[in-house]
Amino acid sequence: MDRIDHILVVDDDREIRTGVVEYLRKNGLRVSAAVDGRDMFAQLDTSAFDLIVLDIMMPGDDGLVLCRTLRGGKHRAVPIVLLTARDDETDRIIGLEMGADDYVVKPFSPRELLARIKSVIRRTRMLPPNLRITETAEMLSFGRWRLDTAARHLLDENDTIVPLSGAEFRLLRVFLDHPQRVLSRDQLLNLTQGRDAELFDRSIDLLVSRLRTRLEDDAKEQSYIKTVRSEGYVFSMPITVHGNDA
Amino acid sequence: MSARWLPRSMASRLYLIILAGLMLAQGLSLALLFYERYESATAMMYNTVEHDVGTSVEVLDRLPAPERPRWLGRLQRDNYRYILGTGEPGATLSSDRSLEVVHRIAMEVGPDFQVHADAIPNSPVHRYQVHFTLHDGSPLTLDVIPHIMPVAKWLPFVLALQLLLLLACTWIAVRLATRPLTRLANAVESMTPNADGPHMEEKGPIEVAQAAVAFNAMQERIRRHLKERLHILASISHDLQTPITRMRLRAEALEEGEGKQKILGDLHAMEHLVREGVTYARSAHGGSETPVRMDVGAFLESLVFDYQDMGRAVSLAETVSGAAMVRQQALRRVLGNLIDNAVKYGGSAEVSAWRHANGTLCIAVSDRGPGIPGADIERVLQPFYRLEASRNRDTGGAGLGLAIAAQLTRAIGGDLKLANREGGGLTATVALT
Repeated sequence: MDRIDHILVVDDDREIRTGVVEYLRKNGLRVSAAVDGRDMFAQLDTSAFDLIVLDIMMPGDDGLVLCRTLRGGKHRAVPIVLLTARDDETDRIIGLEMGADDYVVKPFSPRELLARIKSVIRRTRMLPPNLRITETAEMLSFGRWRLDTAARHLLDENDTIVPLSGAEFRLLRVFLDHPQRVLSRDQLLNLTQGRDAELFDRSIDLLVSRLRTRLEDDAKEQSYIKTVRSEGYVFSMPITVHGNDA
Repeated sequence: MSARWLPRSMASRLYLIILAGLMLAQGLSLALLFYERYESATAMMYNTVEHDVGTSVEVLDRLPAPERPRWLGRLQRDNYRYILGTGEPGATLSSDRSLEVVHRIAMEVGPDFQVHADAIPNSPVHRYQVHFTLHDGSPLTLDVIPHIMPVAKWLPFVLALQLLLLLACTWIAVRLATRPLTRLANAVESMTPNADGPHMEEKGPIEVAQAAVAFNAMQERIRRHLKERLHILASISHDLQTPITRMRLRAEALEEGEGKQKILGDLHAMEHLVREGVTYARSAHGGSETPVRMDVGAFLESLVFDYQDMGRAVSLAETVSGAAMVRQQALRRVLGNLIDNAVKYGGSAEVSAWRHANGTLCIAVSDRGPGIPGADIERVLQPFYRLEASRNRDTGGAGLGLAIAAQLTRAIGGDLKLANREGGGLTATVALT
């Protein structure tokens, strides 16, 4: 049995905080709570956490500011799940740009939060932080394409947007995070599990072929994604990373 | 109530009325002018003709007969001439005017000359002759062709010019009067659901400027009203989020049982309503999103695949290639709502897209559900409207899905139409120009 994951819940609302803490504890996690940013940093200095649940709407420094501070400091490796009060596309994008790994919209069900926490932890385990070279990049170029990681779509050389389905985006993201590495179907399936979409019966092969279509990658030439017989797939196109100001 | 024969547009009506009035006035004054001129000309002629004729007849009488022909040319005028001779035979004079003239001449020359007059019956113009007998016994005839001085040759040109001037002035006046109306109509037309259309220029004639000011004020009021509505909805829903979250957590802490499930179910419904309410309020502002160039085929596929990955029976039947300028998030929300609706009531959804010849992009979402009774097909696009037959609280949601789709479609300059399908089911078509 693995060691128990340690979660830090940061929320100024006492009742929500204690409710979340209790629910997560009941579901077998080790949980600490913090009332604001200062409290959070104090606890981060004294113990190690596997994930931070961070409320956006807080007096003082709000969750987005804290998120950015966390990502710029020594605790940058700790995954973050944001609690946002607004179901707004821009909020989601800002949250993800600030370096959050996922978000839950209030009013959320604790079950949903738990599922997100588990999914984020699983993803982080699969991708050791030092390998996630594309983590904070806004724009990734490869071949004739650019991937906008915040808006989650492709751009071609004419700046025409080519939307991706959630699963396609996540699969592409996994490939881009691990370029030139052979990834097995199992690995791909695990890493590509999304927050809403559960790929139980969809094979990775189908998803890869969809992504190839989207990239206009010839199944015979395979200039982007190459099939490695009996092992899996490898992303073979060189990737250029553009910073946040690109 | 207006007459059938009047043209439809106000400009042409005004044009017609003003032009007809002006032409009539012009015609009347022209007729008056001619009449007056005729009157004065004839009056002048009649006042002077007897004196002239009297003098001329005296002169001719006194001249020796051989010299008379030399003088004839000098004594004749435009409308009469002298003939040495008896002239042509004729009929009795009938015209009052000629009788009057003859009478005056007779009075002037005196009874010595035995004046009598004849009309010339077979002449192409009105013409008569006055016969005299001079003192030496030789006959003298005055051949009269009464006529007014002909109108000047340039007069028709001046008239035509005047007519052109009238036409032009009327046109300008009508344009001046009706153009502001057209501008106002255009401004009203371009007013978007969230009233952020362009302001009208508040200039021009006083009445036009007033109308523009009033229009702008109205637009401002609508804008403020909508903003307030959005603000209220957003605040309420935002402030509800924390208590609902708390209640959820509290409910989760309860012991398992029917009561807990009921509370969670109610909370879920509340949460849904709150979210949809904000989305509806926001959807009026969907037009503020910046349009982007997007691959429509890839967009539809990604949308459909997302549903398929969640295990929903959503398929893409017909698609288009190429890019289009669209407001992506708004369109995604619209289609999402339509697909959700189709899946909820029909069990499955079929998406198809095509381009009209005029460039309109159409995207349709069809299901094989119960459809919507004809009378309700417009009303289901209203917020909070539910079909009682099929949409009770359990299946119904907040009744905002289609309203959001419709309002958002309008906000991005499109049009949403619902239609029952042949063989059952509903098709919702989004047309984007």
